Amino acid sequence: MSITGSDERSPLGDATDAILAARAADGDLRAFEVLVRRHGPLMRAYATRILGSNSDSDDVVQETFITAWERLPELQDPAATKAWLMRITSRKAIDRIRARKQDQPLGEWDAPAPESESPHQQAEAASQRERLTRALGTLSEAQRQCWTLREIGGHSYAEIAEELDLPPSTVRGLLARARQKLMQEMEEWR
Amino acid sequence: MAMTSPHDDDASNDLIEQLSDYIDRGEAPPDDFLNRAPENRIAFDALTRFRSMAQDILDEDVSAEPDRDDSWVAGILTNIHREARAGRSIPVSHSSPKADLSLTEGAVRGLIRAAGDSVAGTFIGRCRLEGDVATPGSPVTVNVDASVFWGERMPQTAQRLRDAITTSLLHHTELNIVAVNVTITDVHLRRNAKDADS
Repeated sequence: MSITGSDERSPLGDATDAILAARAADGDLRAFEVLVRRHGPLMRAYATRILGSNSDSDDVVQETFITAWERLPELQDPAATKAWLMRITSRKAIDRIRARKQDQPLGEWDAPAPESESPHQQAEAASQRERLTRALGTLSEAQRQCWTLREIGGHSYAEIAEELDLPPSTVRGLLARARQKLMQEMEEWR
Repeated sequence: MAMTSPHDDDASNDLIEQLSDYIDRGEAPPDDFLNRAPENRIAFDALTRFRSMAQDILDEDVSAEPDRDDSWVAGILTNIHREARAGRSIPVSHSSPKADLSLTEGAVRGLIRAAGDSVAGTFIGRCRLEGDVATPGSPVTVNVDASVFWGERMPQTAQRLRDAITTSLLHHTELNIVAVNVTITDVHLRRNAKDADS
């Protein structure tokens, strides 16, 4: 099973991201389509992780690719296309959260998350992924976003601070609380 | 949930912050720090484990997704502004003086890509027309990047690409092509072999 989307329908399916991105920058829609199929599913998963649900993730992926098509000619290193797409995805996802919360700054709705589920329910979770997903569900939105951008997206504190419009010290605190909460949650399931 | 006093919570938070700083710098904490208290070691192991789980989680999410129909791809492609990449306008002569024909630079790049892709085992990447394409007869140089299939002989492949591009442009345009420069920037493998097996 491939970890990325299938792009075998196109004869361009064997081309590298660098070649495809350069062609798309030159206006080749077929090359762009291969990039969409190849990376779209991963971007959707990332958007879902940041948003906390998949209800808006298709829209985020669509907005990301529309922006990517427009900005491709500015992409300095076409070999880094995937990382670049993931960065646009996180930005679009955060924009969407911000729009949802309207003008409220992100940091101020570090609201409590739902109570932990009982150990009995948690024991039913089969895979590590499901357990981690459940544990992430107990974080506040701001904690989960910081954690997702840091651990999944690989962003630095400074980048997360900029994206979320928060002071770096707040990001550091949110991350520590997120990690502490995850430790508690995962601990109970042993 | 385990009940902890506010004081314990603060202490634990400090520990996590300290350990996080190490992990986020890509460093391991000193051994004497880890050995100072069992909870230090436990916390460090847990944080390291979360990190490695996080690395794989998106791939696992993708694998867990049910197959979807193609409408999401179509939705993206129909919302894209293709005209933006037309580039310069290249005049095309016609027997009637009333006719004003032209070809876009984007269309010529499309011809060049198609010609290059017809050479087995190669893909054209970036493509540039250097020269005053708007003035008929001006010398024009074509610069293309290309990718060749792993193991292909590069000089021969580059020559085949040059020939295919030159022939196509001679056939379809009136451009005065003085050179076709091919730069091999990439090597590709067959990506979908694994998919076909699964």
